[in-house]
Amino acid sequence: MTEPVFFDANCRVGDTMNAPCPDVTELLDEMDRYGVAAALVRHGNLDNASPLETNGELARMLMQDRSGRLTGVWCILPEQCGELPPPDEFFASMADNRIGALTLQPFSHRWMPCRLAIGKLMDAAAERRIPILLNAFSGKWSELYAFLEEFPGNICIYVEKCGKWGTDRQIRPLLEHYKNFYFETAGYWVPEGIRDLAEKYGADRILYGSNFPQYNQGSSMLQLKHSGLDAGSVARIAGGNLERLIKGAQLK
Amino acid sequence: MSIWEKENSIAKRLWETGRPGFPIYDMHGHMGTHNAIYFARSEAPEMVAHMKRIGVERLVFSHHHVIFGGMRNAAAAEICKQFPEILRMYAVVNPHFPDRVKEDLAGFDRWKPYAVGLKTLPDYFQTPITDKSYEYALSFADERGLPILCHTWGGSGCDGAALMLETAQKYPNAKFFIAHSTFGDWDGAERLVKESPGNVWLELTAVPGERGIIERLVAAVGSERILYGTDLPWFDEYQAVGGVVSAKISEDDIRNILYRNADRILGPGW
Repeated sequence: MTEPVFFDANCRVGDTMNAPCPDVTELLDEMDRYGVAAALVRHGNLDNASPLETNGELARMLMQDRSGRLTGVWCILPEQCGELPPPDEFFASMADNRIGALTLQPFSHRWMPCRLAIGKLMDAAAERRIPILLNAFSGKWSELYAFLEEFPGNICIYVEKCGKWGTDRQIRPLLEHYKNFYFETAGYWVPEGIRDLAEKYGADRILYGSNFPQYNQGSSMLQLKHSGLDAGSVARIAGGNLERLIKGAQLK
Repeated sequence: MSIWEKENSIAKRLWETGRPGFPIYDMHGHMGTHNAIYFARSEAPEMVAHMKRIGVERLVFSHHHVIFGGMRNAAAAEICKQFPEILRMYAVVNPHFPDRVKEDLAGFDRWKPYAVGLKTLPDYFQTPITDKSYEYALSFADERGLPILCHTWGGSGCDGAALMLETAQKYPNAKFFIAHSTFGDWDGAERLVKESPGNVWLELTAVPGERGIIERLVAAVGSERILYGTDLPWFDEYQAVGGVVSAKISEDDIRNILYRNADRILGPGW
């Protein structure tokens, strides 16, 4: 396997509403092609389908991965409608289904991403150190700033969906102010920008991600490998940081 | 075995040494600050240092301040002289300032060997490439067989594939470098190459890394019709070269894209 060890923080599998998309087998083939050891995977149809469907479907898809290289991400909903089990039960179910992190889609699922709606769940996730992927907040800076102000105790990972223009003006204040805020590198194609961010805020705050299947995994691997950082920092960004976060989650 | 571990491959050389073992020509660059983004490396010394790490031996750029501000092309030529072995330039053509265009093109020869062609951005200038305000510059390029790097985007009413095809057919001696390859309209990009009179090349800025797109373009038009570019200082050279070598194409295709095609168009040692 390619050194350093890469753990991709930003992958999707499963068909969307309007297009067939890669499944687990295709993702594993991609990982083999580029030498990616592990991946954090969410369902590709989160915007258009109910989490009650996609959470279960993702768990079933992950069962096809006999290598154990994939870790899943489940989507949450507001507590008041009772659509998901109570936090302890939900987290235990995550552990049983190889789910290691959470995400939320408040804008397409039509609810408010605030303490009133998910305060108890987010507090429980913070206490158990469960990472929260903020893919839905990609490019929604006002909403992202408000969310982080509301939930500074949670481990939050900003995950880019499609933007390619450098986001330093938006991201740097968040890295400066929120110690639990992590930045994932997909679409962050700023020349030597990964090194700049790591030197300013610490290599522990940056996570390699590809945004598969929109992007291949290889291009950003080479960018990180030759970012100009020392080998230890590259290794932490490539996979060490995400492995630490996932292993640090106390689901049961 | 990953692509980075395949013996004697370009990918392995890049992974291990940071260099591909041949020159790289970046046909789409910029320079200078920009309103919409923070750049840590947007001036010539920092950009050249970044390029030298991976072995980019030529960058053809158009300066942001000429495109978006009041700087003139002559100033960009002076910057080229600071790094004559690497920097080349496109003279920017802004259709809203016809007097400047005529004045600058009248002095185009003064900027050789640095000025290799023209650059325009119809979307940004909010003026379709078929508008008569471009005629003077396009005729100038047509008479001299010059390259024109033209910003394009899929579906654009200013520089989409159909408008670019109409233009390439009208000026058959000009060499059209289709910046961003009419991004998103890959079928249109294919038609543009195939239905033009041999004077169109697809330029890749913002494409490398997009999964399966380089493969699709190579299959559609051949790697001989594709040029490498990054928008530097926008995008990292390692990311973009990584996107090319990560594509499922042959090593001959990779070489065509990264340097051979530019040599064929502009001549060895350009």
